[in-house]
Amino acid sequence: MRRVRGLAIEGWSPEYGVPVETDPDEVPSAQVDAGVEMPASEWRPLGAPEDAWTPEWIDFVDGVRRIDARVWITGADGDARLGLCASFAGGVVRCDRKAVIRALKVGRGFFGLAGVPDLHTPAGAFQACPVAEDDIQQLINGVQERMGQLEVEVADSGAAGGLIVLDGPLRGRQRIPGAIGYIKSHRVQYLATAPREVVARLAPRQRTPLFLIQTKWTRYSWYLRLSEAEGHPWAGIVRCEAWTESGLERVKEMADATAATLPRFASEPHKDDRAPQNLYPIAGLERELRRRLGDPGVVYRGLQRAVAAYHPSETP
Amino acid sequence: MSTGWARRQEGAVPSERPGAGAASHGTGLSWNPAMNEQPTSPHIGRVIGTDPATPLEFWVAVREGCFLQLDDVLVLERELPGRSEPVRIYGMVSDLRARHEGARFDSDVFLIEEGVLPAQVTEAAKVLATRFEPEIYVTPVPGEVVRKATGEARDQALFFDGMKHRIPVGLSRDGEIVHANLEFLDGTRGAHVNISGVSGVATKTSYAVFLLHSLFTSGQLGAGSHNTRALIFNVKGEDLLFLDRANRHLDGQQMARYTALGLPAQAFRSVELWAPPRRGDPSAAPQTGSRGDGVTAFFWTLEEFCQDELLPFLFADADDERQQYTIVVHNVTARLRREATAAGEGGVRVGGVTCRTFEQLIETIGDRLEDEEARYDWAGRSIGAGTINAFVRRLHAARKDLGHLVRGDVPNPAKHRLDFQNQVAVVDIAKLSRRAQRFVVGVVLRKAFQQKEETGSREPLLFVVLDELNKYAPREGHSPIKEILLDIAERGRSLGVILIGAQQTASEVERRIIANSSLRVVGRLDSAEAGRPEYAFLPPAHRQRATISKPGTMILSQPELPVPLVLEFPFPAWATRPDEAEGPGEGGAEAGGAGGTGSGGEGSEGAGNGGGDPFTGLGGEEWS
Repeated sequence: MRRVRGLAIEGWSPEYGVPVETDPDEVPSAQVDAGVEMPASEWRPLGAPEDAWTPEWIDFVDGVRRIDARVWITGADGDARLGLCASFAGGVVRCDRKAVIRALKVGRGFFGLAGVPDLHTPAGAFQACPVAEDDIQQLINGVQERMGQLEVEVADSGAAGGLIVLDGPLRGRQRIPGAIGYIKSHRVQYLATAPREVVARLAPRQRTPLFLIQTKWTRYSWYLRLSEAEGHPWAGIVRCEAWTESGLERVKEMADATAATLPRFASEPHKDDRAPQNLYPIAGLERELRRRLGDPGVVYRGLQRAVAAYHPSETP
Repeated sequence: MSTGWARRQEGAVPSERPGAGAASHGTGLSWNPAMNEQPTSPHIGRVIGTDPATPLEFWVAVREGCFLQLDDVLVLERELPGRSEPVRIYGMVSDLRARHEGARFDSDVFLIEEGVLPAQVTEAAKVLATRFEPEIYVTPVPGEVVRKATGEARDQALFFDGMKHRIPVGLSRDGEIVHANLEFLDGTRGAHVNISGVSGVATKTSYAVFLLHSLFTSGQLGAGSHNTRALIFNVKGEDLLFLDRANRHLDGQQMARYTALGLPAQAFRSVELWAPPRRGDPSAAPQTGSRGDGVTAFFWTLEEFCQDELLPFLFADADDERQQYTIVVHNVTARLRREATAAGEGGVRVGGVTCRTFEQLIETIGDRLEDEEARYDWAGRSIGAGTINAFVRRLHAARKDLGHLVRGDVPNPAKHRLDFQNQVAVVDIAKLSRRAQRFVVGVVLRKAFQQKEETGSREPLLFVVLDELNKYAPREGHSPIKEILLDIAERGRSLGVILIGAQQTASEVERRIIANSSLRVVGRLDSAEAGRPEYAFLPPAHRQRATISKPGTMILSQPELPVPLVLEFPFPAWATRPDEAEGPGEGGAEAGGAGGTGSGGEGSEGAGNGGGDPFTGLGGEEWS
């Protein structure tokens, strides 16, 4: 595309037709090794040992994103291509004696094929974020990637003595060393039938033994039960992931710590419709992040003005 | 487009700054010291945009690490297009709120305190605007920087800068002086003070007396201050009988408050005390309680009673035209004036009968009215026997109440005439019956008012302190004393008679008296009373505060200020009880004006009085 002749905002609601959740890393055909901590035949629910390591603090890292507008970019060839204006934010809340939002970053980007311009609006500048393909999925992946970068930036990965919990699966390209991925929903069956029964038998504060998942990148994983939930056997179950680089012993330590400490943060159904898996600190952080994205109406109005006032000569 | 929102974004993207359109509106960020010569403190918060800001009322978020309290005075500026000078908006904190941002449920507070849920505590202050300078009534813009107004800025906010003569009327919560404009007290632009508050937290008269102290000692009255007088009726207890004695319970802290106000911590220097005579005492010694010395007994002679037409003051409804017998009252009054002749030492001769006591006079009047021939002259034409009987019955009812106050049986009665010489005269009516109280107040006020009417000049001023106004000028009914009080309220301003009236409930007092008071003061109010329309000058927050006011705290409303001020006044520097009184000489009290029936110099028992009082010192503790 390179040269942009004009911009126009799609009149339809920006979120229209956007895939709800995308997680390209959750591959069903994963290679799973259930025997890394103990042979699969010996699997049983594990509680944290008496002398288990307790983290001094837990950092919860999360990000949010929002499509503010879909923009049609007319190139020099007269072809209109789709672009996205999106706001995204990453933040970290540290829970020790108080839950405090330690860091929070907001970014805004204009996603499209190479040549997309910066857009300056009264609500902030949408920086040009070129992506390789302009189909909606790729554009959204671009937003997701920028958001992941902010998560990495805010996470205090150098600090010792605590646990870093990232909301969502671990992602290869934006790696937070030592972080634990926290997955609320179970769309992929990683375990064979026999070990799967162990998950159903977990009591609150118990975890399964570790298992190894090998897809594009390798990580340890385990299930744990947050609370005594009614209904189906997998209610109140979450899955965690950790990088193999941390070493098996350290991951076991962290897995025990998650089983012992995460249930404290589990939410109640009347306060969160994703209870108990949606942890209170993450829900609170997410609300704050969304607030910091700004009012969508105000941002949209700002974008409309910026697009209307756009002249190609502004871009070099 | 509003840029307040964008300004607060702490974005990660470095170039995320307000665009060119926003730069034109940077008043919130830039504070140009040159446009503000007054000393103002660093910024304490910003106007919020989540609650609408109106010219008269807006909310300010308090910056982290700062705090605001009720009654703090604030200032902010707003630039207007086409004007070089910004509009300065002054206001006062009337309410405060703190909340958890990020919490959605009440129980979230536990999660937040357990360190599970992140949240932020925010504090915001509701500000009532007091002044716009220049007078352009614009709204403050959300995001605008707000500062505490101190020094000159505070004076401007509260209009103190425009007061040529200002009287310190108390201290604000932060220890600054609260002033009132003398012009609204001395009759120049207004007059009269009205004080409401429940009794028991007895601060109404204390505050009235404090106002007098401030008027007399602040030097604001100028040359006239020497001749300015005060007439105080002591209606309850003996609180006001020790004004000339220093208060031994006045501690250093309270003295410092006087210093802060720029007033001397001292008792009144020129005081005279009057009390009714003891009943049945032929020498008319004053009926006093714990205050024995320096009190003079007062009464009226029968001669004065007849010549000065005091008879109507015996009747509560003598001016009520619906009452038949009032015709008789006025006819008899006129007859007495015409026919009574002096019989020496205050006695009178009426129709050949010498009267030396009130009872004798009443008997004589009764005889005249029963006499077939005299009745025509005394009662008036075509007055029925029933009407005459109604009058006689009422007259006899007054006999036991007034017998010791109207008489002609004491030698040298001129000594007992209420003839004020000193700066402050206290007339004790606490021990009198209601009828007698009305009589005394009515007669004394009428005389004072008539004297001022005769001189025709406003100065020197006469301040009249009268508690329980609802008794003397109730909302319903007519009486001679109510007429006099109304006269004072409506014409006293030009004649220099200033009423400092007080009552528990303003809703029971004649509206015109309250309406004519420039300064309205409210102490502690009963919550039902606080809701009445008489207190509409108080904003809702102040009404609520009036129900929890402590002794020594008052809310004062004055004409120039749209917002009433909450103030504290110091513990009395003069004694209010015998055990508080330092002996004469100790406290520096001295007899006042020349030739007066002055007080202070004679007594010697003050120091020893009430030494064993178990409540000694209580007064000081209540007064925090």
